[in-house]
Amino acid sequence: MSKRTVKKNLNGIGTALPFVLPGLILVGIFVLYPMLFTIRISFSNYQIVQGTITFTGLDNFISIFTDTSGRFWYALRNNFLYAAITTPCIIMGGLVTAFLVNNLKKGQMVFRLGFYLPVITSWVIVGLVFKYMFNSSDRGLINYLLVDVFHLTDHYIPWLLQEWSGNAAIWIMGIWKNIGWAMLIFLAALQGISPNLYEAAKLDGANKFHEFRYITIPMVKATIFFVMVNMMIGSFNVFIQVMLLTEGKPNGRTSVLQYLLYDKAFKQFKFGEASSIGMFTAVTVLIITGVLNKIFHLEKTEEGES
Amino acid sequence: MKNKAYISQAVIWIVLIALLLICSVPFLFMITNSFGEFTYVLPSPPKLFPDKIQFAAYQYIISLPIFNIAVINSVVNTLIASVFVIFVSTLSAYGFAKIDFIGRENIFKLYIFTLMMPGFLNIIPQFITLKNMPLEIFGLENGLISTRAGLILIYVATSICGNTFFLRNFFRALPKELSESVFMDGGGHRTIFFKIILPLSKPSIGTLMIFSIQGLWEEYFTAKVLVGSNETMITLPLLLQRLNGQYSTRWEWVFAASLMALIPVIIIFLVFQKNMVVGGVASDSVKE
Repeated sequence: MSKRTVKKNLNGIGTALPFVLPGLILVGIFVLYPMLFTIRISFSNYQIVQGTITFTGLDNFISIFTDTSGRFWYALRNNFLYAAITTPCIIMGGLVTAFLVNNLKKGQMVFRLGFYLPVITSWVIVGLVFKYMFNSSDRGLINYLLVDVFHLTDHYIPWLLQEWSGNAAIWIMGIWKNIGWAMLIFLAALQGISPNLYEAAKLDGANKFHEFRYITIPMVKATIFFVMVNMMIGSFNVFIQVMLLTEGKPNGRTSVLQYLLYDKAFKQFKFGEASSIGMFTAVTVLIITGVLNKIFHLEKTEEGES
Repeated sequence: MKNKAYISQAVIWIVLIALLLICSVPFLFMITNSFGEFTYVLPSPPKLFPDKIQFAAYQYIISLPIFNIAVINSVVNTLIASVFVIFVSTLSAYGFAKIDFIGRENIFKLYIFTLMMPGFLNIIPQFITLKNMPLEIFGLENGLISTRAGLILIYVATSICGNTFFLRNFFRALPKELSESVFMDGGGHRTIFFKIILPLSKPSIGTLMIFSIQGLWEEYFTAKVLVGSNETMITLPLLLQRLNGQYSTRWEWVFAASLMALIPVIIIFLVFQKNMVVGGVASDSVKE
């Protein structure tokens, strides 16, 4: 580095500080320091009452990986399943609703709000309603419809107490809560598509389905990627659904990593193991975003001034 | 030709209404049951549409002093925290987007990494830090625990990374000719920030503000840990959870309170959604 660039960079720090410093201080104290603390704890035995921290190497990781109940592996499996099932549904659902709403001449507002309502409704409320809908007895709406209205089966299903029906309820809640968000983002992208493209397609005799398949989807590829990455990362932060609906029953078969983490930290007070689950999650998310970036070759090129 | 257009509009309407009905089932259910009056058990068979409409549950909830406290706390916390978050994040994003300094990219990568780390383990060190703040002279023996200031501080700090990331992309996309003209006239970064960047980024800043308000309005976990023991600091989500009760629940109260808690966010969405910029897609504020 030549003297001049050093000087320029030092000047840079001087000019940047008033802008960056307030954020940096807050992030440093309340985000970075806690994160470093978590990383340290993941390699230690931490007794919160006595406040003692003893280094134990990889013990926490080994103990979560080798837990005989296999809870960790079920949770990890469920996170991947959640990502694999809800992400495509949310993208398709969001894209289709956005396309339809965008094609409306009147009343777009009604549907924008209608589909967006689940997004702005608090998880606590949504959880209560879903718990009630999937209730095991005849009081649950779904059981009532299946058994008493449509007579599809003759016994009430204990939705939230079985491995696969419990997972399905968690997926449905995730899809329902997020479709509106995806729709809003796709709507913004759709409005950026030039109407000329659709005009040209119409002249060639394309119908609405052709328009959707050959114009809309290719034109919003970057947005699809954006939604996908967000949903994938979100899939590894799934937590509230599980806490409110199944609490991992039966035997952790519907658990996810974040719920396991919560359970370890705030119910069993094993902060070391909880932290190692947190570390594991962060690294997994990092790898997944990296892989997605590679697959889609959409790595943001650094443009603009610097 | 015109008929065909009508038919396709009608088909879209029908499909959308069908989809919306399916999506609205949980809301129909809440609304219907908020009008009912029952003691601790919901009606069987379940109802999606009310027989009669009565507002007893709403009246009861509004008459609760603690509901009013919760509303005031939620409004105050959400607004103050959102304003601070947006202010600090806008400043940071400008620094990271437009000023060259050593370690910029690395610090920014660190910000992004924190977004991937599950946040709620941080609550333990955050709690300890707040508790150890030496504020005895102000009569705060537990530091900022159980105080509004403590809660808002954590809200602001934990939202900075995400918002900075979002805004930085916007600021980078603004053409550099704009700032160069300011430099020519002898102005500095402060002029550029206040005179050019802020006015041009109103839509994106507004959008973030809305997202931030929505997120903080329903925040439960941090509030529970930091101010949960202080009755005067209760927020709406904490109150809802409490109404839900450990063993028995008056469902019509829970649903009535939930629906009332939704009204402010619905209004904000309705008012601002036209100007919202999402996913970094729409930005026609600058012409190249």
